[in-house]
Amino acid sequence: MLSRLVLTSGSALKNSGSFGACVVQASRSIHSSPQSKAPLPPLPEKGGKIRHGIFPEELFSLLYPKTGVTGPYMLGTGLLLYMLSKEIYVINHETFAALSISSVIIYGIKKFGPGVAAYADKLNEEKVAKAQEVKDVAVARLAQAIEDEKKEQWRVEGRHMLFDTKRNNVTMLLETNYRERLHMVTSEVKRRLDYQVELQNLHRRMEQEHMVNWVEQNVVKSITPQQEKESIAKCISDLKVLAKATQARAAV
Amino acid sequence: MAGRRAALKAIDWLAFAERVPPNQKGMFNSLKTRSDGISAKLASLPETPAPIDWAYYRSVVAKAGMVDEFEKKFSALKVPEPVDTRTSAINAQEAEANKSALAYIEASKARVASYEKELEKFNNMIPFDQMTIEDLHATFPETKLDKVKYPYWPHKPIADL
Repeated sequence: MLSRLVLTSGSALKNSGSFGACVVQASRSIHSSPQSKAPLPPLPEKGGKIRHGIFPEELFSLLYPKTGVTGPYMLGTGLLLYMLSKEIYVINHETFAALSISSVIIYGIKKFGPGVAAYADKLNEEKVAKAQEVKDVAVARLAQAIEDEKKEQWRVEGRHMLFDTKRNNVTMLLETNYRERLHMVTSEVKRRLDYQVELQNLHRRMEQEHMVNWVEQNVVKSITPQQEKESIAKCISDLKVLAKATQARAAV
Repeated sequence: MAGRRAALKAIDWLAFAERVPPNQKGMFNSLKTRSDGISAKLASLPETPAPIDWAYYRSVVAKAGMVDEFEKKFSALKVPEPVDTRTSAINAQEAEANKSALAYIEASKARVASYEKELEKFNNMIPFDQMTIEDLHATFPETKLDKVKYPYWPHKPIADL
């Protein structure tokens, strides 16, 4: 754990080294600028590897070339025995307290650790998923908005059609009106002429009728009473003959 | 007589219908029915009226000179063409519409530019699972808690929780 701190503070020291140099000499600094403009590397997913919960892997890889696999263990055992035998670490009641408490803690972590980690991960997942959803919705909405704007621009381009239609309508109305006027003139003239023709026909018919009536009247007037008696007697005698003929036919 | 009529421009009704936005479809339909009515009326009238048979009338009508007089006056008569009062108004309307359309297109382009800028921001941002809180505040400034205005936790009005 402490070794972690050493390693991380080493990088911090690298950054702050320029400040120290600035204090000594303002013009010259070890690094060209205190901040580098490169984008940050992605955050590591897991922390540094450790063995047995407390010892970082770097220690083991540090000692591996010289002492092999068992090197650090030997070092640990040796250190422990040295401290116990020389009584640099004294065993007292607190040792047993520490052992019991640490065993309980380790048991608890081993049993419930993964569960709690999974739960925390789930919480984080939900947050990330929600943010992602918001982002997706926003992207889709923006794309749709751009589409709609483009479509509206395309629609606006067709505005000349409306005015063409209007002008066409006006032209057609004018043309219709003109033709109607022509037709009306012709029909009116024709009506006048037809009226004259009908008038003449009427005159002729009336004259004919009148003449016929007059002739009839004259003929009737010219029949004298003498002629009338003679014609009536003749009619009666004719009728008698006809009646005899009919009777004879009926008897047969 | 044929020169007085301005040529009718062929209207592509299908393309016109495509460009009409849905909220103006009613107006478009009424315009179309009106236009169709006008053109149908125009088509139903023949271009010139049927000519009058002067010879027949001359033989029938007894009054001398009447038919001749009618014929002379008729051929001398010139029907005045109706005056076009509307086309200039329509042209003025069109000029105005062009102006407003250009302004609208400009505004629309500005909107498109802003949308595209935002879209770019979304497309170029780092994935959420690689962000730190500072990165989140940099990408979405609205998530930054205003510690000056609300100095006490939760640094935003309770109603916004």
